[in-house]
Amino acid sequence: MSSAVNEFIRSFFLVELLKGLRLTGRNLFKRKVTIQYPEEKAPQSPRFRGLHALRRYPNGEERCIACKLCEAVCPALAITIESEPREDGQRRTTRYDIDLFKCIYCGFCEESCPVDSIVETRIHEYHMEARGENIITKQALLAIGDKYEQQLARDRAMDAPYR
Amino acid sequence: MNAKVDNATDTVTIEVDGVEIQARKGAMLIEATDNADIHVPRFCYHRKLSIAANCRMCLVDVEKAPKPLPACATPVADGMKVRTRSERALKAQKGVMEFLLINHPLDCPICDQGGECELQDLAMGYGRGVSRFSERKRVVRDENLGPLIATEMTRCIHCTRCVRFLDEVAGQPELGGMGRGEHMTISTYVERGVSSEMSGNIIDLCPVGALTSKPFRFSARAWEMLSHPAVSPHDCTGSNLQIHHLNGRVKRVVPREQEEINECWIADRDRFSYQGLYSGDRLTAPMVKRDGEWHEVDWETALGEAAECLRNTVREHGPDALGALISPSATVEEMYLLGRLVRGLGSRNIDARIRTGDFSDQIARPPFPASGLPLADIDRLDTVLVFGGNPRNDHPIINHRLRKATLNGARIHFVDPCSHDINYPVAGQYPTHPDDMVALLAAVAESLLEGDDAGFPDGLRELIGETPAGGLAGKLAAALAESDNPAILLGPMVEAHPRGAVLRSIAQIIARKARARVAILTDGANTAGAWLAGAVPHREAGGGAVDRPGLDARAMMEQPLRAYLLHALEPEQDCWDAAAARAALEQADSVVVMTTFLGEGMQRYADVLLPVGGFGETSGSFVSVEGRWQSFPGVAPPQGQGRPAWKVLRVLGNLLEVDGFDYHASDEITDEVRGLCGELQVQTEQPWQVPEYLRTQGQGLVRAGTAGIYAGDPLVRRAEALQATPLAREPDVIIGPGLARELELQDGSVAEVRQGDVAARAVVGIREGVAEGVVWMPSGSAAAAGLGPLIGPVTLTRA
Amino acid sequence: MGDIRSYTMNFGPQHPAAHGVLRLVLEMEGEVIRRADPHVGLLHRATEKLAESKPYNQSIGYMDRLDYVSMMCNEHGYVLAIEKLLGVTPPRRARYIRVLFDEITRILNHLMWLGAHGLDVGAMTVFLYCFREREDLMDCYEAVSGARMHATYYRPGGVYRDLPAQMPRYEPSPYRSDADLERLNAARQGSLLDFIEEFTERFPACVDEYETLLTDNRIWKQRLVGIGTVTPERALELGFTGPMLRGSGVEWDLRKSQPYEVYDELDFDIPVGSNGDCYDRYLVRVEEMRQSNRIIRQCVEWLRNNPGPVMIDDHKIVPPTREEMKDDMESLIHHFKLFTEGYCVPEGEAYAAVEAPKGEFGCYIVSDGANKPYRLKVRAPGFAHLAAMDEMARGHMLADVVALIGTQDIVFGEIDR
Repeated sequence: MSSAVNEFIRSFFLVELLKGLRLTGRNLFKRKVTIQYPEEKAPQSPRFRGLHALRRYPNGEERCIACKLCEAVCPALAITIESEPREDGQRRTTRYDIDLFKCIYCGFCEESCPVDSIVETRIHEYHMEARGENIITKQALLAIGDKYEQQLARDRAMDAPYR
Repeated sequence: MNAKVDNATDTVTIEVDGVEIQARKGAMLIEATDNADIHVPRFCYHRKLSIAANCRMCLVDVEKAPKPLPACATPVADGMKVRTRSERALKAQKGVMEFLLINHPLDCPICDQGGECELQDLAMGYGRGVSRFSERKRVVRDENLGPLIATEMTRCIHCTRCVRFLDEVAGQPELGGMGRGEHMTISTYVERGVSSEMSGNIIDLCPVGALTSKPFRFSARAWEMLSHPAVSPHDCTGSNLQIHHLNGRVKRVVPREQEEINECWIADRDRFSYQGLYSGDRLTAPMVKRDGEWHEVDWETALGEAAECLRNTVREHGPDALGALISPSATVEEMYLLGRLVRGLGSRNIDARIRTGDFSDQIARPPFPASGLPLADIDRLDTVLVFGGNPRNDHPIINHRLRKATLNGARIHFVDPCSHDINYPVAGQYPTHPDDMVALLAAVAESLLEGDDAGFPDGLRELIGETPAGGLAGKLAAALAESDNPAILLGPMVEAHPRGAVLRSIAQIIARKARARVAILTDGANTAGAWLAGAVPHREAGGGAVDRPGLDARAMMEQPLRAYLLHALEPEQDCWDAAAARAALEQADSVVVMTTFLGEGMQRYADVLLPVGGFGETSGSFVSVEGRWQSFPGVAPPQGQGRPAWKVLRVLGNLLEVDGFDYHASDEITDEVRGLCGELQVQTEQPWQVPEYLRTQGQGLVRAGTAGIYAGDPLVRRAEALQATPLAREPDVIIGPGLARELELQDGSVAEVRQGDVAARAVVGIREGVAEGVVWMPSGSAAAAGLGPLIGPVTLTRA
Repeated sequence: MGDIRSYTMNFGPQHPAAHGVLRLVLEMEGEVIRRADPHVGLLHRATEKLAESKPYNQSIGYMDRLDYVSMMCNEHGYVLAIEKLLGVTPPRRARYIRVLFDEITRILNHLMWLGAHGLDVGAMTVFLYCFREREDLMDCYEAVSGARMHATYYRPGGVYRDLPAQMPRYEPSPYRSDADLERLNAARQGSLLDFIEEFTERFPACVDEYETLLTDNRIWKQRLVGIGTVTPERALELGFTGPMLRGSGVEWDLRKSQPYEVYDELDFDIPVGSNGDCYDRYLVRVEEMRQSNRIIRQCVEWLRNNPGPVMIDDHKIVPPTREEMKDDMESLIHHFKLFTEGYCVPEGEAYAAVEAPKGEFGCYIVSDGANKPYRLKVRAPGFAHLAAMDEMARGHMLADVVALIGTQDIVFGEIDR
């Protein structure tokens, strides 16, 4: 009997709604959980898999030796490599294209690379403005690698014990 | 071998992994397991090579044996119990694998063999997961094996397959194992490259990446290429190939196993000629000449212009003013369509026998020139007369089989204007002046016919003339007569010989008398197909005779026509009389050329150039010299705007309003020609024709020579790597020391070669074994381009 | 009422409440549903067929993209089936990590569901709160795999990498005072496990918050109670699994009934409903979040105390470490072959299923002994649930369809595959 009365009183005075409002009210005065993106960034893991890059050795020599493991392992067939002997007889790529529309950012290319050449960087804010820009060429990849080399090296070193 | 297995007494029963299998008595264990599809890992064993048993990878556990035994060197015994996957066997295999990997460099990512490497496969299947070896690996200095084979000798695991191949199969022991133990290296003996004409096979044989293909180097991975069958476009044996291609480009060519033709080998010519496809002078767009200037045009314009040229000629000068020449390496389909096109226009002049010197027996010849001797039977011959040819140069696969025959004890005699560097012991090489070749063969026939007056054909005796070859003819006749299994191989020199008809007829007489089989080895990949498809002036498609034969290839050049239609040949290098060809083409009103490459001469005499697909770029069929009909698909699109030639001919046919040119696929053409030909019957017999005249021996020097090994067709002439091999860099002209002294020429000096009005400068080589009065000069070389007949008078002077 | 005609109308495929690309053809009589006909296939990507042309490992990434709100659970079902065929068992630590992330995934999924369900039915706030917590869990995903959603983290034989010993932190910025930054980074000082533990400590209070907003809320109850009631018998007949089945009162959970990985060593309860309506299913899912939280705490505890390998040591299946690969021949060969050809799986067939957040997610693989599946069949729970849409919606009002879609937790990635 009393529970029915209780139920009526709760219902009549909108108890559960007021409880909800109290909660949202409290949250209204709490500190914001949002951040001032893009000036302020959320933390990013060194394992982050973003845009690709091709790295060089410290002496400036490109690492990639055109072994084509990344091309073979790429589930989305996003990588296209053409290779031939360079003037000094070394095995090198003449073309290294990644189609960013096909890529699924699984990270297998980086896993497969025996010389740590192809890597996935922390870059995740990029865009294309024209048709065809989704295909990112060897020169572009090397340029990204050059620009972020320090960060890339630091991240790889940090993750090395786990791989 | 199969016949023997049927015989119960010759087999034993063994048990492998609990399964009972039958094996030939005396066979090695690995042969038995291979036949039963039980895989035993191996590196050094190869069923076509001798047993070395030096890799120790095939160790298996044999019951009652104290230790694991190598399956490749353990003969089967009745009741033997073998376990290939027992713990002991696995442990042994694992151990061997570990040793093999100790000195193997960490090259997989940059190694061309990666992905198709037997070492990788077996390491995955039988090796440890992680190495225990942490010491330094050895390094071996690289060898320079020439322009075809790239080496990385540090990767070598000393299986010695390459050594055994060159020794046993190629007959040129140019590689050997030096040193012992860790210091063992595979190396050339005297710092020379490998110069065998079959050397490319060691690339396939090498289980690791120590020997790889140089032209292919680093250009693709095994897993990304597609593979389609093909047939050799260079010789009439029809070697079976497999083309590996990627993104519409032929990346490499490897053998396809065909026990009856090429076994598992192919000649370097077949393996590396694809490089020519991508040479710089590839014709990539249709072109027409207007006012002496070349213009690239679209297909519609070019084809319209080509049709116009042909139509005008027929209208103004009559159909017989039009002639068509097609390469003997074109496909049956192309030959058939070209034949129909020319005949549809009313002309009768079409020929594919561009290097033939004598056509007088063409009516009498069988439906198509063929070898009455299946290639596989060559191995078992015991006496062979190779007449007018150098099989090593012309048909490397036949040469390989002849070599096998000599290893079985066969005696092989060679008659040619020049003796050759043959890679097996020969019974004799008899350099014979081209004019004497008829007399010699006639004398052989005479010796055999002695005492058989009834069988003595008219006019034979006259051929022997005043200079009977005496002892030699008797010797050859005796050799053939005494043999149980003799054969006569008529090489390209007979085809090119101005009296080839007589030679062929006499060969038939000899064959009948000595119970020998005759193999007529034809020019190009598809001469047999040309006869069957109607690309000869005296036969229509299907082999039926025509009422009034048109002009043959030689006559078309010697009696100039108003218009020519050429397909896939460069007349100044490929024609019997290149000088006449050049003159004829230059005087013609219009020349339409269907070609893969933009030859130098073409730019001068042609009016319309139509780019067509080359090797691997068109579907079609070849008929081999055995009468084997082999079809293959087109695997890569022709470069640029090129089109398969059958499609070009189809459109030309439509434009010229010739009926029945509405094909949708090349298969339809194939079926049509095959339907016309019916079942192919190999015939070599041809009736004796009384020779019409007797040519007296000329006074001066005579040029003789067939196409060089890497000069036989436009494709191979453009294969860069092949052209850089020692075989391709033979001197242009070879003369005997006597003649050299007479002319005061040294080895390597430059001489002027003159045939008629045409002269060329050529590098001279001096060698023993050139018949007197002969200047040996192969065709197809740059020096020989545009010179006169393959066999004809020549003058040689110091330049 | 004689002039009311039956209407046929399209719901979706471009409708914000259709959860992706659901197209429902509704036969209406007034506002009452007479027939609901779901049309599927608009998000079909041929995942199963694609898998037939790729080495086994290359399809792991595509599993993430099936049910794209419970990524690692899908991977789990796939790698379990492969492991079953290969006959390998991952190291215990790997199995704990998998359970840990399965449960994190469950919370991720349920938070997404709760937020979206609330939004569909009219509650805006709860969506924001749910996403606040999801952010932390996605950070865990990123910390361990490098991707916030499509992890590609599980591998046959274990998981790709061990848990990182350091959580990434907020960088200083002009918008943050030092104290503020310190507060933000407070939970990020230690390892990933510390971070997760901190999360589990505050998460129950968060669930309380959601419940405060919803459980007793009269609008919420009016929209859910008595809607889409399914009897236990009918639920079984319809092939329901997961919360859809448990909401009808059937106590069936693969984690209890056929324990895989290390679930039999963990202490947790299976909530069941009593009425089988949308409200019960809501209650079940909310309780599941609390139970998952419990499991996560146990996993964290175990993982802290038991370091070890997270991958089996068989390099015929699993590539060697990078250090080994660069240093010795055997490892390089195995690395090379595994990344180009993959491994061959013995001939046979296997079915392995996991209790995904939405129900039983299973993979059936037929192997012909090659390095790629001869056939892969994915058993997606959502498909069976969507098939019951007609039965559940019949007789309800149009607005209830939204509640039903919400309660079924439809994700088209797995239904269309």
